[in-house]
Amino acid sequence: MVNCKYALFTGCVAKGAGRELLTATEAVCEKLSIELAEMTDASCCGAGVISEDNPMAADLLNARTFALAEEQGLDIMNICITCQGVHNKTKNKLDNNPEYKAEVNLELKRISGKEYKGVVKIQHFGQVILGDSVLEKMKNMVVRPLTGLKAGAFYGCYATRPHECSDLDNPDSPDEMEKIIEALGATPVDYAARLKCCGFPIIMMNKKNSLALSGNALNSAQNAGADCLITQCPLCHLNLDAYQPEIPGEYNMPIIHIQQLVGLALGLEQNELKMNTHIVNPAGILSQFA
Amino acid sequence: MYSHDVVIVGSGLAGLRAALEMAGHLDVAIISKVYPSRSHSGAAQGGVAAALSNMDGDSVEAHTYDTVKGADFIGDQDAIEILCSDAPRTIIELEHYGCAFSRTDENKIAQRAFGGHSFKRACYSADRTGHALLHTLFEQSMKRGAELQIYSEWYVTRLIIEDGICRGVVALDIKTGKLEIFHAKTILFATGGYGRAFKITSNAYANTGDGITAAYKAGIPLQDMEFVQYHPTGLYEHGILLSEAARGEGGYLINSDGDRFMSKYAPTKMELGPRDIVSRSEQTEINEGRGAGPKKDYVLLDLRHLGKAKIMERLPQIYHLAKDFIDVDAIKDPVPIQPTAHYSMGGIPADNDCQVFLNETELCKGFFAAGECSCISVHGANRLGTNSLLEALVFGRRAGKKMLHATNEMKFSPVNEKKEISAAKLEIDKLLYNKGSEHLASIREELQETMTYKVGVYRNANDMEQAQQKVNELKDRFTRVKVSEKGKNFNVNIQEALELSHMLEYSELIVAGAKARKESRGAHSRDDYPNRDDENWMKHTLVFRQPDGSCELKYKPVRVTRFEPEERTY
Amino acid sequence: MEKVTLKIFRYDPGKDSQPYYQNYIMELEPGITLLNGLNKVRATQDASLAYRMSCGSAICGSCAMKVNGHALLACKTQLCDLAKNGLVQIDPIGNMEVIKDLVVDLEPFWASLRKVRPYLVPDTLDNPELERKQTQKQFLLIDDVTTCILCASCYSDCNVLEVDNEFFGPATLAKAHRFIYDSRDAKAYDRLEQITELYGVWDCTHCGECSTRCPTETKPMARIEEIRQAVMEAEITNNNGARHVLGFRETVSKSGRLNENYLPARSVGFFNIPALLGLLPVGIRMFVKGKNPPLIHKSIEKVKEVKSIFSRLKKYRKIKPQHITKGDINRLDEDSISERKV
Repeated sequence: MVNCKYALFTGCVAKGAGRELLTATEAVCEKLSIELAEMTDASCCGAGVISEDNPMAADLLNARTFALAEEQGLDIMNICITCQGVHNKTKNKLDNNPEYKAEVNLELKRISGKEYKGVVKIQHFGQVILGDSVLEKMKNMVVRPLTGLKAGAFYGCYATRPHECSDLDNPDSPDEMEKIIEALGATPVDYAARLKCCGFPIIMMNKKNSLALSGNALNSAQNAGADCLITQCPLCHLNLDAYQPEIPGEYNMPIIHIQQLVGLALGLEQNELKMNTHIVNPAGILSQFA
Repeated sequence: MYSHDVVIVGSGLAGLRAALEMAGHLDVAIISKVYPSRSHSGAAQGGVAAALSNMDGDSVEAHTYDTVKGADFIGDQDAIEILCSDAPRTIIELEHYGCAFSRTDENKIAQRAFGGHSFKRACYSADRTGHALLHTLFEQSMKRGAELQIYSEWYVTRLIIEDGICRGVVALDIKTGKLEIFHAKTILFATGGYGRAFKITSNAYANTGDGITAAYKAGIPLQDMEFVQYHPTGLYEHGILLSEAARGEGGYLINSDGDRFMSKYAPTKMELGPRDIVSRSEQTEINEGRGAGPKKDYVLLDLRHLGKAKIMERLPQIYHLAKDFIDVDAIKDPVPIQPTAHYSMGGIPADNDCQVFLNETELCKGFFAAGECSCISVHGANRLGTNSLLEALVFGRRAGKKMLHATNEMKFSPVNEKKEISAAKLEIDKLLYNKGSEHLASIREELQETMTYKVGVYRNANDMEQAQQKVNELKDRFTRVKVSEKGKNFNVNIQEALELSHMLEYSELIVAGAKARKESRGAHSRDDYPNRDDENWMKHTLVFRQPDGSCELKYKPVRVTRFEPEERTY
Repeated sequence: MEKVTLKIFRYDPGKDSQPYYQNYIMELEPGITLLNGLNKVRATQDASLAYRMSCGSAICGSCAMKVNGHALLACKTQLCDLAKNGLVQIDPIGNMEVIKDLVVDLEPFWASLRKVRPYLVPDTLDNPELERKQTQKQFLLIDDVTTCILCASCYSDCNVLEVDNEFFGPATLAKAHRFIYDSRDAKAYDRLEQITELYGVWDCTHCGECSTRCPTETKPMARIEEIRQAVMEAEITNNNGARHVLGFRETVSKSGRLNENYLPARSVGFFNIPALLGLLPVGIRMFVKGKNPPLIHKSIEKVKEVKSIFSRLKKYRKIKPQHITKGDINRLDEDSISERKV
């Protein structure tokens, strides 16, 4: 079995409006023998919003989180691609600018006595699954191959852009999520909007445009024949799923966290993965795998 | 038919600056074959000259002398005095318009050294000064709103001059393929240079000498066409400009042995010699076998000792060009370079107020020229770096001022619309329906190779004789050129054929002027006549079009005010 | 020599009932740029192919096109870097109408630019014969943004423009930034007020396409983030975007984590009844599914540390125009500059 341990950065949504994501992550990681130590003292990553007020404050929040993981001697696992992107951006900024890093560390020390050394690695769940032979082992553990399920990967902006903060090998035409989908026996669907924005960041500022963006994604996936969309970001999930009834057009497209998809294939039941909390009920398309 | 008080052809620095002078007072239109921000002024990198003395004890007098000397004493000195004395005001004006300049410790506009200038005189915006100036004027043009109508992507094919009066132009709407007359009281050509006739060139694809050719075909003589500047630091094989600022900031030129060869040619100024001398030095190194690379056909620009910080702050564009186009990291490696056709000293003869000459002495009523397409002549046989942006701004404004006055006193002169349109249409139809099968791109390629290799950095009678024959042959073949795309909208095939016809027309004039000029002066350098000959050749060439299409050379004197010719050493 | 196939979008509205793709096979010469490749196609295979080009050296902005789905400048891109299994797909840039083949109608792009007073509105001059004083640090604040060549690559790939062509778009917001952050401009506050309205700076989703496609150092998304910082600095907060930032700050500074029950209402405004009602349907849907955030919002363990970050906020460096208050002249906080260049 795979033996590894991560500091789990849950992010705010997995403790709030997307608790099913945390449940699914914990269940799947247990199956895969990936040990998780939840970072109960970590703060919000700032989500690219705090930095619009004060970038250094945002960097401090994240440097503090990195320092916490370093104290634990663990690498960080993110389960939200926005957190992952924001963490990567901060880490890049600090690692490439020793002067700024020193300044942030000075302040961090004053506040918490902590120091960000620069050794912690930060990975999203999807990257963990793909790395260090986890994928091969996971394939072998598939007890419920999702044969026939046409799943469209919805990467999320922070997974691909900016390129220098992306973990993907080829951020303009990635295949990482498709590899996972394939490994679970499902069929990845290529569709035009898979790297596009879900619209969530402006849902409070311009709901019409926000939902139009979601609508474009759903439309594109639907036309390409997808049964469902797989997300790496609970914010994409909120816009695509929770808002789906308000999106102009006729859609009934289940939106599934990637952890849930993995869980299903590994034999976990839908209620163990809290699939029933989704606004668009995936039970229909998943009934064949029950 | 469109009608405006003033029509300006060209939307680079000179055209925009002239327009700003008149907008609001007159009904002004700009016609450009590109959008204003695409104009080639934007490609100028290193700086714009003015004796602001922000770094040292510069003076207008020194700027004037440097320019006269740089021009190899064939510039008209009264015009050069205007250029240099108006320079400081011009820079301040552009700063007030909002142009972003790099700054000194005293928060003034920073200035750097440049080839042929004896003081730190080049005001700059990192290494994209032309871009900063062009976008500033474009911003100002947007500020004028409806006062200034801009016809972008219209291609002027004909200039209408009758009885010594300029009346309008015929232009092709590239989007629709429609020909229209633009009727005007006064016309300004600010149409840029003609460097695209060369294979290795820093010029834009658009720089096909359309304006000068249209003027020439309308009966206007062209002046000093043989003087084409080769810039010493063209990116190897691409010809793309790497700014002289690279040398202004302390970059070295080295040969395959790693020697700074300029010590042999300009021991005092070294890499900061004027462009003609540095280009020749490079070519000599290559010709004598000290070139670098597998074919030994380039030399190297070495920036490594400047360090990453200086390169990235002062010369970022150079860094990116070398990286993107030939994958050389200028921080770690020297950059392969070669001389590249860069600037057209010759062009439409005009007086100090940009009024165009009809012959040696008479002016053409209502027709003006400014910027690179004009020959006023402030650059003589060799332009100093940073004087071109300056010229466009100074004389663009002067043209505007003069035209403001002149236009108010003029009426629209009648234009025979039918005749002009059908003449323009005939020109296009000849290209479309000549039933020939000559390959357009091959003619263009052969022309460009001929001009680069036979009328290049070094010239001689034999090569130029061959060039002349070749150009004639190509002109003949061009009458049978095949234009396969017959469609109306955005027909780039027609446009490139028209452009090639212009390139062929003026290339003949470059060769004719160069062949006749039996001396070496500035950018015109002959193996067979290696010395300057002031007694016989201190004069401007004027080339006239004969009714049969051939050209006739005449000459006119250089205006000397303060500086007698002297030997030119650096 | 290796071959490459250029699969090129073709459409001539005068002739074709609908667009189609045409394949051109050519040799993949080492070091050849995409633009030179296209020129070769035109010279040797098909002279009817239309696209724009001019300088050939990445400064005029003419030759932006979509390659394998993303906008770039053809002149500065090596063809060998684009070929995927020997194929390169080339389309016109997006969010604009096609005139012919790879040529689009740029008018909406220019029109958008004109919305933000794209020119310096200076304060009065101390001495009209001298340059205005500006420090090199102040120049460096607008150094990156003034590299914009108006190629429209950002406009092409902007996700928001796909659904709303009223949105100012990345290049236009960058142009606004260029003057907001110019120490010589007197109208920073007015400019900020204008772009906090509908279609302005808060309508950007931060999808990152603009900065990713930008061939210069302009990087519009970074500039948009800086405009937002300036908006917060100027306390122009009567808009959903600024309220969202403030709400975010409030809840994170209080508990270390985001309170999702608090933020939406804070963003639209606690007294904005219609907008609050608009939040109801999604709230109810989520409540029914048990997806609503817990009613009791728990803090992180050592929330004191996070609180002290926010209590010391004023001390932190940030890039900002200084003293932007109504009618005041925009000057710059010099000590704040070093961060840009880190």
